[in-house]
Amino acid sequence: MKEYLKAIVIIIICLAVLLPLASTEPDGLEKVAETFNVEEHEPAWGGLMPDYTIPSISNSYLSTLLAGILGFLIVLGIAFVLGKTITKRNS
Amino acid sequence: MHIPDSFLSPTICILMYIVSAIFLFWSWRKAKATYPKSFAPLLAVSSALIFAAQMINFPIIGGTSGHLVGGTFLAIVLGPYAAILSMTIVLGMQALFFADGGIFTFGANVFNMAIIGGLSFFLVKYLGKEPKSGGRFFSSIFIASWLSIVLGALACALQIGFSPMFAESGGIMVTVPAMLFWHVIIGLGEAVITTGLVSQMYRLQPAILNGLTILRGEKR
Repeated sequence: MKEYLKAIVIIIICLAVLLPLASTEPDGLEKVAETFNVEEHEPAWGGLMPDYTIPSISNSYLSTLLAGILGFLIVLGIAFVLGKTITKRNS
Repeated sequence: MHIPDSFLSPTICILMYIVSAIFLFWSWRKAKATYPKSFAPLLAVSSALIFAAQMINFPIIGGTSGHLVGGTFLAIVLGPYAAILSMTIVLGMQALFFADGGIFTFGANVFNMAIIGGLSFFLVKYLGKEPKSGGRFFSSIFIASWLSIVLGALACALQIGFSPMFAESGGIMVTVPAMLFWHVIIGLGEAVITTGLVSQMYRLQPAILNGLTILRGEKR
């Protein structure tokens, strides 16, 4: 368990360090859509933290970092529950 | 490669939901019969790692970027069945909380990234077979992770190409070459990062590579 906690801390530190270096250029699919003048409409569901930001935080680095950490913890929790569920009857 | 809602026709959305549901059901059944109880923390941490890694876009040429998808990475660490489920959780949370990838296109995104990524396990298993040498194993990871991106992009290109949004521009005749062009390059980033991550883990914690254990087990 201890090494997993260590891994979690290391991943969050890496995220905090690497986020400002991340490219904001369009990804492959967005680039293809741009090339053919296909515009992305307003999504049917906007999400609670659209584009990995927390709307109430104005500092864009902190906003994205916090959204990232929240998302990280949500995925961690849900995947843990899934893991417990699929292995319930196993030894 | 996350397809937003407006890019796909309803027919393709429904079709991809059905296809992905079949694979998810299969993975769920297989996963239940495969993994030990101690597996949950590894599944949790590796899923969360891939969520974080997908936020870090790396620039390629021509004002375009890519990011690790991590399907092959998860497949190596978790084995194919849990990798498919794990990536589905990552994609689901991205769609639900961050509007990264649509709700209606979720089935397509699961197919392109989770299922193709998870199934790349079998390519690693096939290419990296005995006699087991480090070089051969890592080259098979390199090839499988690259191919998982190229095939995912091909599937994505077909889905958007057959949808009305891209019909005016020429449909699949233009979407397939355009998607492949960018993702042949983005796939190299995927391959470098995946091979690097797995070799680091192999060095630090060889026992953690559960997918490999399964890989060995299924070979008998």
